[in-house]
Amino acid sequence: MKAAYSRNVDPAFPDRWADIIVRPETTEEVSNIVKIANKYKIRMVPRGGGADLVGGSVTETGILIDLTRMNKVLEFNKDDYYIVVECGITWGALISHLHPTGYTTGVIGPGSGFAATIGGGLSNSTAGGGSTKYGLVPDICLGVEVVLPNEEGTIIRTGSAANKYAQPFCRYGVSPDFTGLFMGDVGTMGIKTKAFLRLFPDPPYKQARMYVLNKPDYNRVFELSKQIRFEINEALRDISVLPPILIQMRLPQFKKETGQTISAKGPLMNITIEAMEESTLKVKLEKLTKIMENDAVQVPGSLINPEFDEEPKFGYDLEGTFHFFQQSISPMPAQISMATCHKIPISHMGGVYDKIIDFSRKHASEFSGGAVFPGIFASMLYFLPNGNFVVLGGVSGKNIEGEREKNMERWHRKIRHQVRYGGAHYWLGESISQSVTEAGAFTPEYEQFFRDMKKTVDPNYLLSPNKFHLHTYDSKFKDYYVEEED
Amino acid sequence: MTEFEPKEKFKHLAKIGPNILQCIACGDCREQTDYTANPPKWGVCVAKDHTSGFEPYFARGKMQIIRSLWQGKLDLSKEMAEVIFQCPTCNACAEACAYDMDNVELYEALRAELVDAGCGLEVHNPMNKAMVELLNPYERDNKLKAKWLEKLDFKVKDANTEQVENLYFVGCTAALTPDIENVAINSAKIFNKLGIDFGVYGEQEVCCGSVGMRTGDRKAFNSVANKNYEMFKKSGFKTIITSCAGCYRTLKKDYADHMEDLGITVYHTIEFLAKYIKENNVQMKNLGVKTTYHDPCHTGRHMGLYEEPREILSKITDLTEMKTIKQAAKCCGAGGGVRKGFAELSIDIAKSRIQEAEETGAE
Repeated sequence: MKAAYSRNVDPAFPDRWADIIVRPETTEEVSNIVKIANKYKIRMVPRGGGADLVGGSVTETGILIDLTRMNKVLEFNKDDYYIVVECGITWGALISHLHPTGYTTGVIGPGSGFAATIGGGLSNSTAGGGSTKYGLVPDICLGVEVVLPNEEGTIIRTGSAANKYAQPFCRYGVSPDFTGLFMGDVGTMGIKTKAFLRLFPDPPYKQARMYVLNKPDYNRVFELSKQIRFEINEALRDISVLPPILIQMRLPQFKKETGQTISAKGPLMNITIEAMEESTLKVKLEKLTKIMENDAVQVPGSLINPEFDEEPKFGYDLEGTFHFFQQSISPMPAQISMATCHKIPISHMGGVYDKIIDFSRKHASEFSGGAVFPGIFASMLYFLPNGNFVVLGGVSGKNIEGEREKNMERWHRKIRHQVRYGGAHYWLGESISQSVTEAGAFTPEYEQFFRDMKKTVDPNYLLSPNKFHLHTYDSKFKDYYVEEED
Repeated sequence: MTEFEPKEKFKHLAKIGPNILQCIACGDCREQTDYTANPPKWGVCVAKDHTSGFEPYFARGKMQIIRSLWQGKLDLSKEMAEVIFQCPTCNACAEACAYDMDNVELYEALRAELVDAGCGLEVHNPMNKAMVELLNPYERDNKLKAKWLEKLDFKVKDANTEQVENLYFVGCTAALTPDIENVAINSAKIFNKLGIDFGVYGEQEVCCGSVGMRTGDRKAFNSVANKNYEMFKKSGFKTIITSCAGCYRTLKKDYADHMEDLGITVYHTIEFLAKYIKENNVQMKNLGVKTTYHDPCHTGRHMGLYEEPREILSKITDLTEMKTIKQAAKCCGAGGGVRKGFAELSIDIAKSRIQEAEETGAE
């Protein structure tokens, strides 16, 4: 049993075996587990789908709380546009439940798979299909039910549901936004058992278009994306961008398969548009064609994957979204990517681009066999709603015992570099949250606030104790500070 | 102290090679629910759905167990066998995997390790012993395998003594189970009606060895496989037809090297008939009966035989599909030694599949 729960998706952490593994079915059972853990001072780590890329859902010793038995839809409120689910439900199950109803959560969950859970998406503040329009997973969250890791195993509800007379229909207004305390907390502040999520009408007409830019010019990508935002506006669902090197590598095989030659040399933009009416979709697509006509050539989906349709559906089709992502994690097993995905503001793009390229060139030998393509900017860019985007990427390493320590060292170094140029990460897990601390990101005042908050909810310091290097209340973040290396 | 050498210790797993450590632990094999897919997916693993659902009951957990064994962090044990043998080896996890892993190949190698280490399920032993000694796993007199032939009003050639173009390999289940013998009887009637030259081994038919292979008893499997090989070699036929999904997978996949040696092609009855119907432009009458079709794991996910049964059924009946079909079809729960080892689990899984069938309104 313990061996079966010993790994996440990464090549850096050693196998870690919990002492006790539980699979509760109700919030009350979770609360009872927390009470017992407090009584005997046993550390706890909550676990959702377990597709964690950053060491977040595994623990060495202690109790591992597998939440996947809590997988029900509890309330689907069409009139008030919200849905109440248990946090162990998967994105696949939730999206499938909503699909025939004409409603959607907008963002359809993290790229980590059909089997990723809602709780995991909230804890890691992830982006995914639909994020350009609908934002990150926490952006659709109206509140949560949480078990606090204290001696009483206290159960609270946030958002409007904090008002015991109210339905969970909105996030703000009853008290400070304590929902936010549990978003992106990587399971350090409480164990989420239920989530109240926003619903939107699901536009029935969706279409993706792929364009390869004539020139390898990222500035043009951003100019075009700005124009698309203004002119396509609310019909724009997603923009993602693949780097030129990946496209150029695929071209010879594509020519063999299709006989087509593509002379464009730039990045690939994948743009998804959605509309409530077919005629609106048509108008928006015509606009898109006009925006792109002088800078790019339209290409079929098979350019990036022979199995894709003419117009790939990743962004709104579960299989397309998740399988594309999964195959990127480990293009050459047993090499697995150590995720370095982070957000940066669009206006910082030029500077950050240079820094990323400089870093990977400087460390090319060190990352040999590690960086799949030394000098690559990102494996994909994913645009978010308000002027920032995710630089999706990773450093791959061999998923074997002898390499783990070295992999971890490289991984931390890369993340610290990103933190220091101002990147904001998500799915922090254990590894990235520690790198953020090591980079000295937090001021002493923020650290004190953070520790005070943690102590309030977790006085015995038992929940996910390694994350952020919050190993004990006596330690300080400066104990883990690593001097700037680059 | 000698260094732990997994290749020496785990010979069955070692044959699989680097795939042993290929799983990245993404967990897509846990629950791929996708109503938008074609065919729609409603979960993956029946073992997970019908047990406590902890990780060892589905693929990712098993792959980590294999990894830990390979790294010398875990020992084979009877407790491990209790979990590993609850999987009906339906291979739905392999369909879910982004990396095209053949999970069942790994599970069966692990089972073979467990059996060799004396940790196999004791309840499987009589079945495998009977397979070797009596030539069928049902612990029955093999002579009874010819009994169904008495119900035919025509003579079927004896492939032991007569020259036949096609061997009809009946399989132990249809030959020895009165409730199911109609499969053999009707198959023979169809072959006869179509004028196909075929014969059977009758009471001398040797079990294909599927149960031994699936439950990790490689010695038992090899014993019957070798007997069959010798019999096939003596006969002159170049085609084997079988109606049993388990025999089909075993003869076609597990005996692949033998068959290639002998130049024999293995067909499932449905596959053979679909080919025959197409080549001979056979006209069929629709009987107006509402039917549905269950994809057996051994013909479907293990062998990719999805369209042929549907082609035939949709011509002769009103075929209505179940909620989960083809690559995403739910398993019946009987395979992999689960029916024998964990009867309650097996029936539980079967019930939900039957419920799916009933929901189609099939007669």
